[in-house]
Amino acid sequence: MKTLFIDTSSDYLYSGIVIDDKLVSFIKKKFEKDLSKEALPKIIELFDKANITPKDLDKIIVVNGPGSFTGIRIGITIAKTIAWALNINITPISGLTAMAISCNTNSFKMPLIDARRGYVYGAIYDKDNNQVLEDSHIELKTLLTKAKDLDIKAITNNDLDINIKKESYDPDILKIVKHFEESDGINPHLVNPIYLKKTEAEEKLGKR
Amino acid sequence: MKDIYILGIESSCDETSCSIVKNGTIELATSTSSQIAIHENFGGVVPEIASREHVKNITLVIEDCLKKANMKIEDVTAIAITYGPGLIGSLLVGLQAAKTLSYIYNKPLVPVHHIAGHIYANSLVEELKFPLIALVVSGGHTELIKMTDHFNFEKLGGTLDDAIGECYDKVARIMGLPYPGGPKLDKLSKVGSPTYKLPIPLNDDSYNFSFSGLKSAVINLNHNEEQKGNEINKADLAASFQKVAVTSIVSKTKKALKDYNINNLIVAGGVAANSILREALTDMCNENNIHLSIPPLKYCTDNAAMIASAGYYAYKLGRRAEFNLNSLSTTTLE
Repeated sequence: MKTLFIDTSSDYLYSGIVIDDKLVSFIKKKFEKDLSKEALPKIIELFDKANITPKDLDKIIVVNGPGSFTGIRIGITIAKTIAWALNINITPISGLTAMAISCNTNSFKMPLIDARRGYVYGAIYDKDNNQVLEDSHIELKTLLTKAKDLDIKAITNNDLDINIKKESYDPDILKIVKHFEESDGINPHLVNPIYLKKTEAEEKLGKR
Repeated sequence: MKDIYILGIESSCDETSCSIVKNGTIELATSTSSQIAIHENFGGVVPEIASREHVKNITLVIEDCLKKANMKIEDVTAIAITYGPGLIGSLLVGLQAAKTLSYIYNKPLVPVHHIAGHIYANSLVEELKFPLIALVVSGGHTELIKMTDHFNFEKLGGTLDDAIGECYDKVARIMGLPYPGGPKLDKLSKVGSPTYKLPIPLNDDSYNFSFSGLKSAVINLNHNEEQKGNEINKADLAASFQKVAVTSIVSKTKKALKDYNINNLIVAGGVAANSILREALTDMCNENNIHLSIPPLKYCTDNAAMIASAGYYAYKLGRRAEFNLNSLSTTTLE
């Protein structure tokens, strides 16, 4: 089983190739503005290092959000194009789920991505990574209230004003891939970003 | 000689388009997903919505185009992609797809400037004859370009402020015509007469254009008539605006042709679909014995066939991009 994992939902490129329970090549690097330029060349390097070609892939797992709109589109477009060309499926996953899976703790978990103006993209998972509160675009205050009676740990790479235990996010690519081992995925045409947030233009139109 | 098939991808604004063109001149198939109906609700293109639509449609249009052409990507010689200029979020969806296809199928990646694409849309009708003057008129551009050979561009002049298409859409909006208003204004002008007096923009010796003053003049005229309690005759206003805008474009184009002693004119871009502009350019070219080429409507608006056509000539010249090619929202034609 050969799986490619791609997450471009922040300004980092997190990507790796897992072959039969082994992470054979990976990259975790901050690119910011250069993500569009560098994502594909770096993924190609992963194939070279793993000594396989895309044609050898059985499966692609891609983070479809939430996070940076532009970033997500870069990873998804690459994943969709590879999967379409090779006629294989894609398993789209939430970046918040990936964050929860990567965190080892016996408490509840609250992955958080800064969505500015007091808002975050966040969710709550139990220690076994079952979702307790679904992925939301939510005011940080409100989310913290919902979690106030839980023994919970926040996972975030952003500088958020919170008074609970927290750790930074470092994706455990092997664990994420294994978590979705059973998933058959879906047709690549159907894979689209989950933004959790309408565009400003749509919000304004809705208010009119 | 072996036939060359170029698969072109264009996503610089609100059309997701894929096309296969043979030898730069024969369009085998094009598949375009247009977002006009979506952006109509907002009175103009919303960049974030455009990007969201592109990512939904990109693999679908590629698949549809190949199906229509009855080809596989393996049969294609190279992949041409619009790298800029345009909306950055839109551009990069097409770019990622093109780069990925180029990698997987081991096909050369040919970078194409969007304006070069518009100019080369004419190759889909007849081969370009050099030297020529290219008049590029669209929502984002108003330029006069001299070409002495393939991919040899010399910009003679351009707009100093608004692009002509932008000015058309804004004026149409002032007149209460729904987006995209340019074509509606064009239609309306046919039942009106140029009775309103508007200033001829930038009537000087340069090859430059300026349309923001004309736009302001329309706003002021509209306002003044309202103040006086007079109802504006929209058809007459449309006709008056068209007359002035078109006169400005035609006179600068004629000057460029004369000054450089060139007798081939090609017109490119969405505003090339404008009927009054077409008529005026045709008359001017007939009077001055100039060979005029204006592509049919489907090649005037954004489409991937023009990118594939330009991509053919760029391919023949050895132009290639690496996998680290990036999208550029602004970039010089070269």
